[in-house]
Amino acid sequence: MEDWLEKRGMRLWDVPVWLVGMAVAFIWAAPFVWMVSTSLKLPSKVMSEGIEWIPNPITIQNYVKVFEFPVVRWLANSLVQASVSTALCVFFGAMAGFALARFRFPGRAAIFLVFLASLMVPVEVTVIPMLLAFIKIGWASTYQALILPTIANVFSVYIFRQFFLSFPKELEEAARLDGAGPFRLFLLVALPLARAPMIAASVIIFTLNWNNFLWPLLVTFDESMKTMPVGIAAFAPVVGTHTQLEGYSVAMAGVTVLSIPSLTLFFVLQKYFIAGISQGGVKQ
Amino acid sequence: MKSGSNTVSAVKAASLAAPTQGVRRDKAPIDWIGYVFVAFFALPFLLFNILPVLFGAFVAFTEWRIIGTPEWIGLENFADAIGDEWVWLAFRNVVFYALIIVPGVTILGLVFALFVNQGYPLSGLARTLFFAPNVVSATVIGLVWVWILDTQYGLLNNVLAQIGIGAIPWLTSVDWALIGVSIASIWWDLGLAFVLILAALQDIPKDLIEAARADGAGPLSRLRFVTLPHLRPVLSMVVTLQLISTLRIFSQVYVMTNGGPAGSSSSPIHYMYTVAIVRNLYGYASAIAMLLFVVILGVTVVQRFVLRETQ
Repeated sequence: MEDWLEKRGMRLWDVPVWLVGMAVAFIWAAPFVWMVSTSLKLPSKVMSEGIEWIPNPITIQNYVKVFEFPVVRWLANSLVQASVSTALCVFFGAMAGFALARFRFPGRAAIFLVFLASLMVPVEVTVIPMLLAFIKIGWASTYQALILPTIANVFSVYIFRQFFLSFPKELEEAARLDGAGPFRLFLLVALPLARAPMIAASVIIFTLNWNNFLWPLLVTFDESMKTMPVGIAAFAPVVGTHTQLEGYSVAMAGVTVLSIPSLTLFFVLQKYFIAGISQGGVKQ
Repeated sequence: MKSGSNTVSAVKAASLAAPTQGVRRDKAPIDWIGYVFVAFFALPFLLFNILPVLFGAFVAFTEWRIIGTPEWIGLENFADAIGDEWVWLAFRNVVFYALIIVPGVTILGLVFALFVNQGYPLSGLARTLFFAPNVVSATVIGLVWVWILDTQYGLLNNVLAQIGIGAIPWLTSVDWALIGVSIASIWWDLGLAFVLILAALQDIPKDLIEAARADGAGPLSRLRFVTLPHLRPVLSMVVTLQLISTLRIFSQVYVMTNGGPAGSSSSPIHYMYTVAIVRNLYGYASAIAMLLFVVILGVTVVQRFVLRETQ
């Protein structure tokens, strides 16, 4: 026992702290377990007093039911929105971040300060006027409307600028001596070395887009243009009637499907998530 | 992660921005191509991040409905807002949200980070579990917690019943709805505070802690005299970020209670949404957004001032 503890740098009085802390960590994750557990129960067994963590019997009928809604379409919309927006945001952000870190031109410090200052503007201030504008030009409830307003996420510029500030000058000079112009320098020399900030920016911005709520809620009028979070939100008892009639098992199947992509991305790439977030303090 | 604009730690970043460049001001040629590189990002930035704020300020002075011609009405929307009891209720609620969520997130985030920072076995797993809720959408948070907080069959009341506490109407009573939404919000928001505090903890030099230990300082006095002073900047940042994010609270309110019952869990942005979408008053909605914007700017300015004073 003593040996076991010592090998792990623990003393005897660390053990109760450790046990309580780990118990809290598991309790913290319990809502996810409850979500999945409920989604696998028979509707008749959901609305019952008493706690059953492992469903008996296990059923997938709630998932079948949830796919009777246009969930495939909502998933596709979310995927298109989040992928296109993230790709553009990361690429343009990398270009701007590279230029702001490496090129010398008048006003570059001021430009960066304007980008940072814009972070004080909450997006909620922009959604009403933007909605009016998109309705006016006839683009409400389109992919343009879902994608365009989410492209210019300053986090992308910030993370690439930080990275390229410490980019080795020798590489840049060697490339210039070889006759590479600025675009080749960026595309063939700088970008391939920026793997870490690229993954960090991509996973974080993709997740932000995947989860985005207020703007898609406002700008999608047709059922067929909804994104997954907005579509599934109709299962909320205060918004729609479905859950009131059928109980929570189908709703939990819906949110399980909705949370799988972002949770998977997080579990697989959490190193990048956490590095990117503690570097930028990003949050949407 | 939450919807909305990115509130990157502008506090931290702005201080980094200026001094890192302009080292040499010799006659190296100007890279005009830099403007082209920036333009690809700057164009959508101006069109979709900046222009709507100016346009929104204009809309706030009009009566604007989806059909018909907008009409300039001066300060009428703002006068209406000041006389509107629902506006007062929404702003009062958001103060209560902040009073619950900001300390909840900061204190729990600090405690969880201190625990994970001990580096006990499985602390990597604990870190993953503490952060995970932060990466799912408001719809997931909202629906999962509506179900957990269900008065009759919900998990929480079921657990509470085992220790003799009667059923609490978490989301269906005027007295509890705001608290119910706050619980879900703390669960959702904690991850960011936790990760930021953990990163700051890992930056504290190990010898400092060891020196304090050698001087005979117990765990509590090490925390009080070594760790916490080091965390002051990050705690200040966490409080500001969380305060601003809570002032903007909308999505979980929409999914969990839709502002009810009787407006008891509404928020300024939820009211803005209702005014625009349900009542078709876009000018008035924009005026409410502008009022909140002023409050948020005020918070940012005060925070920067306080931060400068303490440094």
